[in-house]
Amino acid sequence: MKIHRGRIAQHKHDQHLREYLKQNLNELIQQKELIIDGKVKTQIATLDLPTLKFAEETQYLAQGAGSGAGGAGAAGQGAGDERIQALGGLLGGDHHGKELRVELDFDEFVKLAQEVLLEEMRLPSFHEPARWGEVESQDIPELDDLDRIGLRADLNLEETMVQSLFRNARERGALDYDVDVQQDAWYFIEDPTTFQNNRSVEVYVLDVSGSMRGEYLSLVRKTIFILWHYLERRYPTNLRRYVVFQDVAEEKTRDEFFCVESSGGTHISTGFEKAVELLDGAGEYDKFLFMFTDGETSSGDFDLAKKRFEEARGAFDLVIYGHVNPGGRGIGGFSEYVQEAAKTGEGATFANLMDLETIRAAMKDFLAFFDAQASRRYAGTARR
Amino acid sequence: MIGEYQTVIHELEDLARDRGLAFDPVVFQITDSDEIAEVASMGLPNRFIHWYWGGTYKELVLQQSKEVFSILELVLNTAPSHAFLRSANTYLQNVLVIAHVLGHADFFANNHWYRKSNKNMLNLAEQHARMIRSFEVRYGRERVEKLLDALLTVATSVNAFERSGPELKKRLIYYLEERAPLEDFERILLESIREEAEYFDLIQRTHIINEGWATFVEAELLNRLLTAKEWATISVQLSNRPAPYTIGYTFFAALRDQAGFDRVLEIRRFYEDVSLIDLVLTDELVRRLDIFVYDPKEKQKSYDLQKVKEMLIAQKLYKGEPRIEVDPASQGRDLLLAHLDEDRKLEPKRVNLFLRAVYSLWRNPVKLRANGKVYTYDRRGLSST
Repeated sequence: MKIHRGRIAQHKHDQHLREYLKQNLNELIQQKELIIDGKVKTQIATLDLPTLKFAEETQYLAQGAGSGAGGAGAAGQGAGDERIQALGGLLGGDHHGKELRVELDFDEFVKLAQEVLLEEMRLPSFHEPARWGEVESQDIPELDDLDRIGLRADLNLEETMVQSLFRNARERGALDYDVDVQQDAWYFIEDPTTFQNNRSVEVYVLDVSGSMRGEYLSLVRKTIFILWHYLERRYPTNLRRYVVFQDVAEEKTRDEFFCVESSGGTHISTGFEKAVELLDGAGEYDKFLFMFTDGETSSGDFDLAKKRFEEARGAFDLVIYGHVNPGGRGIGGFSEYVQEAAKTGEGATFANLMDLETIRAAMKDFLAFFDAQASRRYAGTARR
Repeated sequence: MIGEYQTVIHELEDLARDRGLAFDPVVFQITDSDEIAEVASMGLPNRFIHWYWGGTYKELVLQQSKEVFSILELVLNTAPSHAFLRSANTYLQNVLVIAHVLGHADFFANNHWYRKSNKNMLNLAEQHARMIRSFEVRYGRERVEKLLDALLTVATSVNAFERSGPELKKRLIYYLEERAPLEDFERILLESIREEAEYFDLIQRTHIINEGWATFVEAELLNRLLTAKEWATISVQLSNRPAPYTIGYTFFAALRDQAGFDRVLEIRRFYEDVSLIDLVLTDELVRRLDIFVYDPKEKQKSYDLQKVKEMLIAQKLYKGEPRIEVDPASQGRDLLLAHLDEDRKLEPKRVNLFLRAVYSLWRNPVKLRANGKVYTYDRRGLSST
């Protein structure tokens, strides 16, 4: 039997790395560009021993990249090539590769963040049996692709590919049938009125006006990651759409949504309007709108925002309005209106997102929606 | 498997001996990229397991998968030598590797510094690994791991060329070995890490001459063994090697052209990187190798021979690391370290972590003169004046 010392060492390294990332989660999560090429980049090369290093290199020894030695009769291609390779460690090290920064798959990063956040917020892991009559377990199910896809015979391939085509056209401008497991929902041959809990449509709307950065982004992203934890355990398929707005609203891909550039004014009405527009033709249950804003809408937009909010409330099963408020200031402006409106009537919840404790409170409100929904469904089943 | 290479191994060994090379037996084995990455990251196949190698291993596997870089071969400075051929290599690539390995084996057996090196490191590393496992059981894994982290940090202060004399007292790890208030098992661990560090330090300090010589031998042998077409294919690969290979190769090729093969054999026997650079580097070679001192702010290259040579030699002498020495004013419980290149700033975050590691071994206040101030690390943590 071979002992894979390298892999054991890597496991040890990764445990240290996880600890490091956990300790630095807040800093990482605030990076303006969180996802680059589907990965979360960090500033660490690999975890290093604490040897001393120079703060900065003013001058260093280098070689024209690709210059080679012209050795053994073969000509190098160096002349005129402006690429430069620092020689540094190459002259004395045991390996000669280019230094790579630690990077994590976005999904891996989200999982790690969820682990940290659930622990910090003392929130329960959650799994509701998908259908009435199933055995309930305390174990957290790990959804893999098979869970998401279901039995092959039940898969509505045509619908899946058509939806994928729409997504590719929308996001990449390419008429391409490539189904992306990460992004495309898998459609089943089913009667949506019978299986009301298989699929969720989630529209995430983010205010990217000037003030949304740093701690604001951190609160928004933490809330979203925790929401995903619950939504992914509740629905086998999560169909997600992303919108950002300032003066105007635009649909974005997931990766773009997590790499926002903040600027401009705040027209909250446009965010609601776009979200409702995206619901066009959606037959899924349940439909969620998650709005994140500081509520300071531009002058003249207040009444229109109220109107659009009410429309959204009618179109979605639940509108969750996150008032992003890291400074813990009083709630005013449009947020105050939504706070009051949410108290009266169903279909909307209000969350004053100031810190982890308030995210925790928001999750309790959100989970209450599932409880109420389950009660209704089970009552309906009993009546039949 | 290895059987298909036996004939060519014998042919290459005979050719090598005809050229005046001499080497200990080499045990060749075929293995996969993963194992090569494993050995390359740990330095030796049976070395103790540490998280730090895990990072390097992960990086190498990633680089290989992204085809940024892949290791074609690996050879150990032991008697007999052990060499690993990658199963994914083509037959011709492995023939190249065998010729290259024979160059290394000759260097290990003849170079003045390598002749003095510990050829029993494979067994010694195994012994250290077993001992560390038993210490982990006895003293706790976490305690041993923390100790190893600190020891590996100070182990960069070894120098394979200066293992005795007054210079030794200035080097942190030797100073700690002699004077730190360590428990017996901790001292044993320190000695083990120091021994391994000296083994690897020699490889670092002779990287250019060793790889250059192996590449030079490889070209000499293959030129005689292969057909013109095969040689043309392989020679392209020779030109695309990392810097130490190409720089070293060019030095030896230039020496052969100027002074003949016997002189080249003599150089490989008595020289190391610094003396080789000093002897061989010329304006013409600096240009041919396209090596320069680069100023990233001004985006300017300088091909000035003296400047390039000085920087290359400094890089080899101090391994690109800050020069930290134990100050002679250190007495009793006072350990004072000094950064000799005062003009260059050290990363402040690392100063804290480094001094914490030294303090964990010295167990009394540690001072470091650097960045225009004196840092002190004691039981309250870091402070500076």
